[in-house]
Amino acid sequence: MDSAVSLRGVEKRYGSITALADVNLEIAPGTVYGIVGPNGAGKTTLIRTLVGALAPDAGEARVLGLDPRRDQRRVRAQIGYMPQAPVLYEDLTAAENVAFFAKGHLLDGVREKVRRSLEFIDLVDRADHLVRTLSGGMRQRVSLAAALVHEPRVLLLDEPTAGVDPELRHSFWQRFRDLTAEGTTLLLSTHQMDEVVHCDRVAILRDGKVLTDESPDRLLTEGRAVVTVWVDDTPHRHEITDYPSALPGILAEWHLDPSVTRIEVDNENLEDVVLDLVAQEKDAPDDH
Amino acid sequence: MTTSRTAAVASRVLHQLARDRRFVVLVLVAPLGIVFFTKTLFDAAETPFFDVTPFAVPFGCFIVHFATFILTALVLVRERTAETMERMFINGYRRLEIITGYLIAYTTLATLVSILVLTELQLLFDLKYGPGRLASIFLVMWLLAVISMALGILVSNMARSEGQVIPFIPAIVLPSLIFSGVIEAVDRLPMWAQVISRFSPMFYANEVLQELIAGKSLGGDVASLVMLPAGAVVVLLAATQTLRESR
Repeated sequence: MDSAVSLRGVEKRYGSITALADVNLEIAPGTVYGIVGPNGAGKTTLIRTLVGALAPDAGEARVLGLDPRRDQRRVRAQIGYMPQAPVLYEDLTAAENVAFFAKGHLLDGVREKVRRSLEFIDLVDRADHLVRTLSGGMRQRVSLAAALVHEPRVLLLDEPTAGVDPELRHSFWQRFRDLTAEGTTLLLSTHQMDEVVHCDRVAILRDGKVLTDESPDRLLTEGRAVVTVWVDDTPHRHEITDYPSALPGILAEWHLDPSVTRIEVDNENLEDVVLDLVAQEKDAPDDH
Repeated sequence: MTTSRTAAVASRVLHQLARDRRFVVLVLVAPLGIVFFTKTLFDAAETPFFDVTPFAVPFGCFIVHFATFILTALVLVRERTAETMERMFINGYRRLEIITGYLIAYTTLATLVSILVLTELQLLFDLKYGPGRLASIFLVMWLLAVISMALGILVSNMARSEGQVIPFIPAIVLPSLIFSGVIEAVDRLPMWAQVISRFSPMFYANEVLQELIAGKSLGGDVASLVMLPAGAVVVLLAATQTLRESR
């Protein structure tokens, strides 16, 4: 299956600063792909490269098989982009903002599409409120509605849940899942490590480099775990990695000894795994 | 270029203007205040040997030129710093559509400013011009406003922030007045200054206005009159080519 988004050897520099270094990613259609990393990792540069706002210094980026710079208009007709800050006109209403960005795509039935978008983000009751009177979370939702009003095949969302309360974040993730169920590909960036679990696949970015590109399940297996086997009330500790694979070995070792009274598995959560990966890379000697 | 996207930009800008009453009032009232101050200055300078007539209307035009230039430049820069310009581009809007949309919306405002300033000039300076001559002066003022907006759009492309627009005021607007012929006849200036004057829309506006003030018709200096819309087209094309989607 062709990738919805692909980056091959993409590099981007701002003077002496390397924002993206040999980035290689393949994103399958209809998936939620997370770009995770600390501030300054290169997440926004990566997304802005895919919307055609930035030209890579090396390598090639493709969105739906098209070059975001050379085929800019065709790419932009098929993508939805939500910037990190809710870039909206504060002196227009929520509906007017969404309608204005919809009209850029020359849509038929703009009014109905705007209504559906606002319904999707649960903001129909605030459609006629000026954006400047809305809360930060509501503005984020209007910004999302403006990004998806033209039903794009690929949604590029730059930290869509930044500064959003937990309830709204949960609601956003539900909406993202609804979109992928309809076949939309989502690529989103986040610096909130706990959001990794919602993605089908995750790239961890640090200093412009992709540290890992895995599914959350696979990432979890890279975490450390402590398996404690209690034998006659005496704990026997086993520190392991990749516990789904290692655990059967430990159990085999004890061979279901009747004296085993309890087995505890204390494994790292995804946030710990991601932070460990970022820290390991930071500590590693630079081989460039 | 599609008319529907151009109309969407114009309609959006007009909606924003309609909601920003303080801004609109300021834009309309400030030029009126400056015309009044100019009248006070001329009253003080008036002697039997000094006729204010050749100066009053050109100064009024300069005020419209100044206001529309600064206003358009600032608004476009704000659009870029707020990143809404980039979002417009990403959502399909094209350069010419954005610029034309802005021009349509702000021309509405400039038309209002021109009408108000001309009415005030007529009242304060007791110009005693007939409807035909007033209409001709209005046309010159309006064309000057359009080219001033085009210049504002062009300059906005060179500024990364609202603050960076400020240096363009002495760099563009003041020479525009100094070398326009309003203060001193251009042919009495050094050759290099005469060359610079030919790049100033105020020069062409003043040339036509002096003909009108002298009682001639718009046909008195067709070449200068044509230079206003022609210059606007050239500046707009340059602005379109240089319009950047982000800072």
